[in-house]
Amino acid sequence: MVTKQAEVVKADVLCIGGGPAGLMAAIRARELGASVVVADKGNTLHSGSATGGCDHFMCYNPEYHGTDVAPIREAVFNAPTGGCTDPVYVDIWLDKSFEMVKLWESWGIPMKHNGKWDFGGHSFPDRPRIHMHYAGGNQKKVLTEKALKNGGRLMNRVTIFELLRDGDRVIGALGFDTWNERIIQFEAKSTMLATGLVSRLYPGLTPGWLINIPIFPFNTGDGRAMGLRAGAYLTGLEFAGRWAGPKYFSRAGKGTWIGVLREPSGKPVGPFITKPNKETGDIVADVYPALFADYAAAARGPVYMDLHGASKEDIEYMLHWLRHEGNTGLVNHLAQAGIDLTKNGIEFGTYEFGVRGGVWHTPDSATNLKGLYACGEEYAVLGGMAGAVTLGWMAGENMANHARGTEFAGLEGEKDRIEQETGRITAMLSRKAGASWQEANVALQNTMLDYGGGLRSEPLLAQGLSHLARVKEKAAETLMARNGHELGRCLEVLNLMEVGEAVITAARARQESRGPHKRYDYPYTNPLLDRSLLVSKEAGKFAIKWGEKMYKGG
Amino acid sequence: MPPIIDPKLCTACGECWRICEGDVFYGSKDGQVPVVSYPEECWHEWSCVQACPVAGAVVIRTPLPMMVVYK
Repeated sequence: MVTKQAEVVKADVLCIGGGPAGLMAAIRARELGASVVVADKGNTLHSGSATGGCDHFMCYNPEYHGTDVAPIREAVFNAPTGGCTDPVYVDIWLDKSFEMVKLWESWGIPMKHNGKWDFGGHSFPDRPRIHMHYAGGNQKKVLTEKALKNGGRLMNRVTIFELLRDGDRVIGALGFDTWNERIIQFEAKSTMLATGLVSRLYPGLTPGWLINIPIFPFNTGDGRAMGLRAGAYLTGLEFAGRWAGPKYFSRAGKGTWIGVLREPSGKPVGPFITKPNKETGDIVADVYPALFADYAAAARGPVYMDLHGASKEDIEYMLHWLRHEGNTGLVNHLAQAGIDLTKNGIEFGTYEFGVRGGVWHTPDSATNLKGLYACGEEYAVLGGMAGAVTLGWMAGENMANHARGTEFAGLEGEKDRIEQETGRITAMLSRKAGASWQEANVALQNTMLDYGGGLRSEPLLAQGLSHLARVKEKAAETLMARNGHELGRCLEVLNLMEVGEAVITAARARQESRGPHKRYDYPYTNPLLDRSLLVSKEAGKFAIKWGEKMYKGG
Repeated sequence: MPPIIDPKLCTACGECWRICEGDVFYGSKDGQVPVVSYPEECWHEWSCVQACPVAGAVVIRTPLPMMVVYK
């Protein structure tokens, strides 16, 4: 039986998700005098994409790049990883990314390598490099301690599962404390969705083994689903990206490898490098991550990451960055397996579809709902660490300012919905027989792959949507959790199903092929549809709106 | 199944289960050797191994479906 906490956690600013975006916003808002609470479904020391580190911070660094920004602007425009074509965001990035680098350096995150700025990976030969190596292994610890030192409240193992509203204003949220099985009511003037990327929507490389995922497996689109239910616009969902990397140990981080990707004959699969290059890596994996899947389908593989010819120092350099990328597990597995990187080629595979779209927001991180913000990988026009950190910092300022001009709304108006949600949670915890979250997750993944996968058409998408609706309905009736941990996983899968419905709806509405969104029935790109598509829910039904000119996001 | 705890080496400090991002050690208690409640939800990030103050008290075994293919 789930208990409701008597206390309402009240704060000017509530950050849902304790990743770089949420923590930067929390730190900055607190500095400006706002009371702040961060809720994380895990532990902010080791949660989300930033867990274990990150080894690259895309930035314009005048000390390294010089003062001519034109080539840097062009580089970020063309970057296949982290790139951005929206001039407003590019200007913000040019203006502020180095300030963030210096801020992090001052907080104790090592942004230099051996005393120097070091740029490498994700790069075209003979072009400016904009991905700066940094040792992010301690970043979550530094950000967590900074947030606490500032007087922010961090609540770990609290899964926020529903936003609370007053008309078109978001006034707080409900969270579930998974270890103590209690519901916590949050009241906030400014609420930020910062729940990261979407994992587990599509089957991975090893469908029978669910948690083999290239990106953090417990970022499950919770922000997108809660936003959708509250009336926020979602955008870009029809565009799915793919990562690639070692097969079968799914781990993003291909930009850190320094070798050449070669087909079995030894011929490089890409035109960019012919021998290992620690400055650029082999960017063919960024430009064409589906290469490995296409080669496999045509029986042209395996394709190997080949480090023959790399010096011992360069391999150590690569391993150093792989560890700081959060790939300690992969590096240790290679060592445990006795793999010698100077002799053995590592096969690369294309990883599953990853939804790139999310909660629509302005450069100030404001959504279409009053008091609701979205930042980081919730929807990244400016992506990666640079986007989360820079925009998160700015969002903290905006949320603190907004809170200053706002009163608490009080949660009495949401009393009925809170009772309803409590009943829903209790039901899942009380069932003695029913579906496990894994069962529901597999049903979802199969549906998404078969009906909303790489090549789409109206009949497939329509069937997928109706099947998913049936699965979702049955899941809501039968999902069973034996404890708070499993309840958290059930909530994840229900959110994923909601995101899946929105993805299919967006894919149906975009009647053209564009980038990774491919329609069999509309095989061409329609110049009149060079606009963003906004999906929302009104009274439980999907609504579509066409927005402004679309820019490529990272 | 990963992670594997050696109760003879474990000092029950609780560092591993407090920070596990997959909540694999759900239900563990202060002062007791952790329980590996959800080994199949391990993402093999090794944060527990890195947090553990005693070498060998917690180890990770890479599961068979995740073995890297190489030549």
